[in-house]
Formats: sequence, structure tokens, C-alpha cells
Amino acid sequence: MPQSSDALWYKNAVFYQVHVRAFYDSTGDGVGDFQGLAQKLDYLRDLGVNAIWLMPFFPSPLRDDGYDIADYRSVHPLYGTLQDFKNFLNAAHERQLRVIVEMVLNHTSDQHAWFQESRSSRDNPRRDWYVWSDSDTPYRTARIIFIDTEMSNWAWDPISKSYYWHRFFSHQPDLNYDNPAVREEMWDIMKFWLDIGVDGFRLDAVPYLIEREGTSCENLPETHIVIKELRARLDSEYPGRMLLAEANQWPADLRPYFGNGDEFHMAFHFPLMPRMFMGLKLEDRKPITEILKQTPEIPPSCQWGLFLRNHDELTLEMVTDMERDYMYDSYAHDKTMRLNLGIRRRLAPLLEHDRRRIELMNGMLMSLPGTPILYYGDEIGMGDNVNLGDRNGVRTPMQWNGGWNGGFSNADPESLYSPLLQNPVYGYQAVNVLSQKRSEHSLLSWMQHVIRLRRSTPLFGSGSIEFLYPKNHRVLAYVREQGDQAILIVNNLSNSAQAVELDLRRYKGKILIEMFGGNLFPRIGDIPYLLTLGPYQFYWFKLRRI
Amino acid sequence: MADESILTDDFIRQLIDVGEVDILVGVPTHNDAKTVEPAIRAIQAGIVKTFPRERAVIINADGGSSDGTPDVIMGASIDDLHRSFNGYTLRTLHAISTRYANSPSSATALRTILAAAELLRARACTVICPESDNIEAEGVANLLRPVYRDHFDFVAPIYRRHKFEGVLLSNLLYPMTRALFGQRIREPYASEFAFSGRLASQFLSQNKWSEESQDYDPELGLTISALSDGCRVCQAFLGTRPPIKRQSRDLVHAMRQTVGVLFSSLESTFQVWSSKTASQPVPTLGPEFDVSTDPMRINRKQLKEMFSAGVLDLESVLRSILSSSTLAELQQIAVLPEDEFRFHPELWVKAVYEFAASYYKSVMSRDHILQALVPLYRGRMFTFLVENRTSSAAEVGNNIENLCLEFERLKPYLLELWNGRK
Repeated sequence: MPQSSDALWYKNAVFYQVHVRAFYDSTGDGVGDFQGLAQKLDYLRDLGVNAIWLMPFFPSPLRDDGYDIADYRSVHPLYGTLQDFKNFLNAAHERQLRVIVEMVLNHTSDQHAWFQESRSSRDNPRRDWYVWSDSDTPYRTARIIFIDTEMSNWAWDPISKSYYWHRFFSHQPDLNYDNPAVREEMWDIMKFWLDIGVDGFRLDAVPYLIEREGTSCENLPETHIVIKELRARLDSEYPGRMLLAEANQWPADLRPYFGNGDEFHMAFHFPLMPRMFMGLKLEDRKPITEILKQTPEIPPSCQWGLFLRNHDELTLEMVTDMERDYMYDSYAHDKTMRLNLGIRRRLAPLLEHDRRRIELMNGMLMSLPGTPILYYGDEIGMGDNVNLGDRNGVRTPMQWNGGWNGGFSNADPESLYSPLLQNPVYGYQAVNVLSQKRSEHSLLSWMQHVIRLRRSTPLFGSGSIEFLYPKNHRVLAYVREQGDQAILIVNNLSNSAQAVELDLRRYKGKILIEMFGGNLFPRIGDIPYLLTLGPYQFYWFKLRRI
Repeated sequence: MADESILTDDFIRQLIDVGEVDILVGVPTHNDAKTVEPAIRAIQAGIVKTFPRERAVIINADGGSSDGTPDVIMGASIDDLHRSFNGYTLRTLHAISTRYANSPSSATALRTILAAAELLRARACTVICPESDNIEAEGVANLLRPVYRDHFDFVAPIYRRHKFEGVLLSNLLYPMTRALFGQRIREPYASEFAFSGRLASQFLSQNKWSEESQDYDPELGLTISALSDGCRVCQAFLGTRPPIKRQSRDLVHAMRQTVGVLFSSLESTFQVWSSKTASQPVPTLGPEFDVSTDPMRINRKQLKEMFSAGVLDLESVLRSILSSSTLAELQQIAVLPEDEFRFHPELWVKAVYEFAASYYKSVMSRDHILQALVPLYRGRMFTFLVENRTSSAAEVGNNIENLCLEFERLKPYLLELWNGRK
């Protein structure tokens, strides 16, 4: 266990999401591995992040990028051995980097031994580990999530001649959490990794654990009972470890996943993310302030997980039809960029390679209430490849330098798990870590700076937020406060220079210190505080009484 | 760029906060607190339903209301729409208000709206009458949509009217603008219309906005500007015309506001209208012509008497304005008994054209010329009422169309007068 014993460490962390496969290949087989990831930990430490979220690395047929797990207690041979993982974990902890791992509770691969046993006979002891039915009619009120590929939540199994339930791909049968044996086994698996030393879990697809007739089969009370049970065991046996929920839901539906501080420590704020992009395109703070107004208070020990992009499509499930149409028109005019109810693109291409917009969005990510989670490669402005199927276009190899395979692997290019980006704008020759390390004005250097500022005070992770509503709606302004500390954040969401008058009378007498450059701004008086901002410019000001 | 000194510092500050917009809705007001709310609701609903993505602002230009009209407008919350039909906009829908003066002036109000449109680089603008208690969201959208989506520069309204409502419009303003500028805009003088940002800037810079021009309604001038500057124009049906409070019952005043503006514009637009030889229909959203024929009591007799008295009393004035043949014909019909009296289209058109030419040549005070036209108009109105007393809507339409054709046929006569050959 690294670092301090701060049980709330996740509230002031900056997470970095990475797939071991995509980061660095130490063996020359074309696939990233744990030895390679361990070699790049200094890079992550220097970037300033202090927690790593690892995507699934377990044995798997890899039909859903590892979210189809075939063995929960091992490491996929492509990525190394369990010992390699332990070595990586120790190396991370030595650098004060926490590590949380993916845990797919809801379903397994259909290649998992449990499912093979379950389907083998109706009398098999593991038969009830999955959800079976003689017809495909139960739970009709549950929506289909992967609408582009799945016609039903039921799939016919020719071996056991019955239907099995799956909320995602049909090769991912859902586990039956009404079965105590399943719950016990999954806790044992979590204990296995906790004993090795992981700092927590990102629990995948948690709203779908339980099914009940006549419901949406999402967010059911019984699901919360399962989670409370896991949390109680975690707190009791592994204090200081944390659970992060993947629950793509509206804020009001998400709130119960925090319980009374006795369910998840963190949950992703899914509805906020698309609205940040929407606000930027609309040049209007309304989508952002509206969704945050609808966001309920959470227990003090809990935290929102904020992100701009991740390994999935930019999900548009938690927006209205009108908002979704707008997002498609604005960010995915080319229909090949659309997948399910979302947009399969990375941050930099979404923002048209515009450094000002990338900085503004990251600035908001770092300053809004929650813990920021960066997706690997976004810190250097990596692009995507929409010609690759599914979400693979945002999962291409990390671009370390402009040399052979972008410094990712010594293998022949043809044997890489995924082709590298090679286009003139986002190709590894143009966008890579080495070249950006050389320039103090690169995006990478700027990201290091903003992460350092973010981590310079716990206020960003734990402080309150109060939105100012200046009449200029293109400006999103808020004050973060904790104790006697206050930071004013002013963001210009528009492509043009803006003047804004802020009512800061509450802070009369304080002077403003701009945090990026350290310069002083005039003292706050009785009259509205006038600021001018260039296109997409933003300020972070410490409010100091001196 | 026109002088924006009419805009107060506070209004400028509000405009800064609003920033660039796609849609601008102007609402000129003066003591309209009792009626303005439905119009604002319709505007909000029109924006929410048709332009939910666009940057939009409602601008109230108030002429010194003492009844709290601006407060009513600013207090109309869009949240109510969300409750009533789950409508919302992706962006902030702004509403701002400015008091441009302590007394109402439609010229200053429009100038304020145009200046705001230019400063905010609005793409599509509309002006909505605060008394439009029957305007609906669809009407607002019908006005704005052709500008915003189809790149028209000007959208004139078409209203459902009673056949005897707007006689000056149907017997002079419509047929004459149609004959001169070649486009069939049925309501060239209206209190509700839409225009592009381009036309707003153009009109703002062209119009001198002199102190005396503040007394004139500029709406017809905007229409003529659109027609004479090669703008793409169209019409949109808005339903029943709202009762206009500010419409004067004083015919002389109305003549100044409308015919005066038309006549005075002819000088600067001569190159345009003199080259037009025929008229074309313009694209129209909804029915092109809609009249009701309900019975209506009108004192026709007084009209005839006032015509006859005017022709006799103003003989010396009319002699300076009209040709001797036209005056002679007028004098002939002036003495006819009511049942034989008919002010036929050819004579009416000739008289109007001679008035226009005399106005151009300033044969006397231009205001006196307009005043002298009033009794003649009454005579023409009498004939129109009699001829259409029992007419169906279609027959009324045919009669107006025939009058329009007469205006077009006699246009060369106006040109001859204009060029001094008569």
C-alpha cells in the first residue's frame, strides 16, 4: 500500500485510464504488456497523475476488448503473467501511484468455465449462476443497450436449448446475482486482487446486476443491496480501498449508488460530459449549469468521477433526443463516427485539433467538482481512426516518439494489435510524447502544469461550488471554496472575445491572483468586476485577502 | 454603420451580454402591459418549437411605458413553456429591454431594433406587434423561417382581413408598390414582418433617421428598401390581423405615414422602379389572399359627400397637382348623385400617379399634396365599398386584381409625368 493513509485519497486524485495492451510493448510481440507499462510509470508520475485505472487485462477471447472475461484470477498471456502484474503494481506504489482495476461484475464471457458448465445441463450446479429462460419473453421492459448489434436481451443457446439473458453483447451472458453463490464468488475474486494490493475497482455495468419483471431491470433496490454488501466487506477487511461505479444514468438515478456513503466511493458523472461538449459548441453555459443544478448532493466521503473521453464512445444515452441530434450534427456529421447512441472519437479530433478548446475543456475537467480521469493519449492530443470497427478507433497504440511504430513496439508494424495513426495531423510522427517533452509550450507540458495546479490544493477535490450567473451566458463562472480558501474560475465558452461583469461583492476587498502565471489582478470592490477573455480563454484566480 | 447614439449605455451593456445571435425578435411597446404577455408567450413558443438550437434574443424597445410593460416582458419565464408542452431551448433565451424615449415613436423603436440587429450580427429578425393577442408560435416561426432557413431578406405578413378593412392598402399601397417594383407584396405596410441582418444594416445606413422622420412610421420604407434593393422577398400568412391601437383614425395622418412614405421613396428608387415592366408573384407561406365577408355597417354616404366637397373646395390646389383632363373628370363625377357615382379604376390610377409626380416635383408643400389626396381617396373608397357590397371573397379578390393591373398598365403614364413630358 503506497502513500499516506488518507482514506479519501480518491477525492484529490487525478486518474489516468489506460489499457495495458495499448501503452507499451516490452516483448516485441505487437501488444502492450505489464512489463512495458511498468517501464512507463515515470512518465505517468511526471505527468502528475497519481492514480491509474487499468482496463480489463484478464484472460478473455477479446471479443469486447477484455470486458468479456474468461478467468477473473489471472492475467491474459498477451499482457504478461500475474507476477508481471505484481511487479508493475509494486513499481507504481513506489512512485506514489495508486492502481484500480476493472472488475466486470455483471457478465462473463460465454467462454468462461462457469458458463460452459451452466449451459451443459439444466442440472449442473452452476446452472443458476446465469439467467436462463425457456422463452425470450421475460423482462420485455428492459431496453437494449447495444442497439447497433443486438436485437434482444435474450440469446438462444443451442446446447442447453434455452435462452440466456445478456444486457450487452450476446457473447456476454449476465451473471445471476439472485444466487448467493455468485455474490460470494465475486467477492472472493475481489479479495484476490485486494490481497495482491490493488487500491480499488472500477465496477463495470453495475445498474444491471438484478432483473425483475415489469421493470427496466436497471437501478433496482436489490442491486443496491448487492453493492452495500460488497462495500461493507471492503470497508471491514480493506479500509482505504475504493469502488468506482460505471452507471450511465441520470444524476437522480445515480445518487442512490452513493447510498449513505455505504455504496460506491465514486461514480462517473455521465450526463455532464456530453453537456460540456454541447456547451462549448453552443457557446452557452446553459447545458452545463442545468445538469449540475440537477445533480444532487452526495455524501461528503463520496466523489464524482469526471472525464472528457474514455475507451467507449462519447455516450449520448443521458441526453434528450434534441440534444443527441445536435451532438451528432456538431461532432459526428460523418455517420461512420457514430456508434450505438454515441460518438466514437477522441478528444482532440472532437475539438478539431484546436489547442484553445482542448485546454478549456481540460481546465473545466480539472476545476469542476469531482475527480478528473484522463484517457491515455489525450494528454498529447492523440487522434482516432474511425475506419477501425467498434470502438477500436480510440484504442490505438500510445505514441511515444516519431520512430519505429511510434516507439510503442519493436514488432513488425503488421503484427501490432492495432494499426498506429499515421495521418499528417494525428500520426505518431506529428503527435508523440518525445517531441512534446521537448517543448515547454506543448500540450503535454501544459497538461503537466494544469494537473500540478489542480493538485496544489485539496479545494478542487473537496470544496463547494457556487455558480455565478453573469448576464453573459457565454461565460461559465464559478467559485470553489473550502474553509477560508476560494478560487474563482471563469471560462469563455465562445470562439470570440467576451467581456463579462461578475458580481463578486461577497469577496469585496480580496485581490485576485491568476494561478497559471501568478499575476495580480485588481482588488474586488463594490462595482461589478469586469473581465475580458479571449476566445476559449479561461482564468483560475485565487481570491486572497492581503 | 449608422450612428448608434440612440442606444443607451445600459442597453449596450445588455447587448454585450447577449452577444452574437441567430434570431432576434423585436417588440416595440408603449403601455402594452395588458396585451403584451400573449405575444411574448407566442414568441417564446415559436423560438422553442422552431429554433431550439439557435442563439435567440427578444428585444423590447419601449417608448416610455408607465404601466410596467417592460417588466411584464422580462418576467415572462420560459420555464412555463417547459411545463406546458415540455419545450426548451438548448441555449439561453435572452430577453432584454431598453427605454429609448419617454414618448413612443415607431421610427425610433425600429431604429433601436435594427441597430441591435446589426450589433448582434443577427441572421434573422422579426418585429412582433405587442397587441398581437392572436399571434401564435407558428406565426412567429413562419415569419422567421424563410429568412433563417431559406435566405430571404424580407418577409411581409399576409393577414385574414374583412373585405372592407385596409382599403387604402388594397386600393393604393399594394397595387402601386406592385406596379412600381414588380413584386406582389400584399401588405407592404405592416407592424409585423421579418428581415435579414443584411437588410437591417442596409436600411439602417440608408435611412437618414432625421429628427422629422421620427414622426413617420418606417415600416413601409423597409418594405420599399427590400423591393428596390434586389432583396429576396416573400410573404407569410399570420392569421387574423391584430387590432392596432396606434393606428390613427385621422386619415390625413395615415396618408402621411403611408402614401407620403411611398411617394417620397420614389425619387431615390427611380432607377429601380422605372425599369420594371411587369409584376411577379412572390413565394408565399400559406394562403395568398384571405378575406372575410361578414356584414359590416359603413357610412358610405359621408364618404361621397366629403369627396364632392373636397373636389369643389380644393379646386385651386388640385389644379396645380392634376392634369386638366383628370381634374375635369373628377369634377364631373363629383356632382353625380350617389347612385350614379363611380370613381373608376383608370381615373383613380391616373389621379394617384399625377399626385405622385407632383409630390416629386414639389409643385407645392408636399404635405398639402398629401392632404389634397384625402378627399379623392374617400371617393375611391366609396366606389370600392359599393362595388363590393355583395361580392364574395373571390370577387373582391378579382376586383383588387383588376385595379392592380390598371396600375401596371398605366405605369408608362407615371413615367411620362415623371420625366416631364406631361
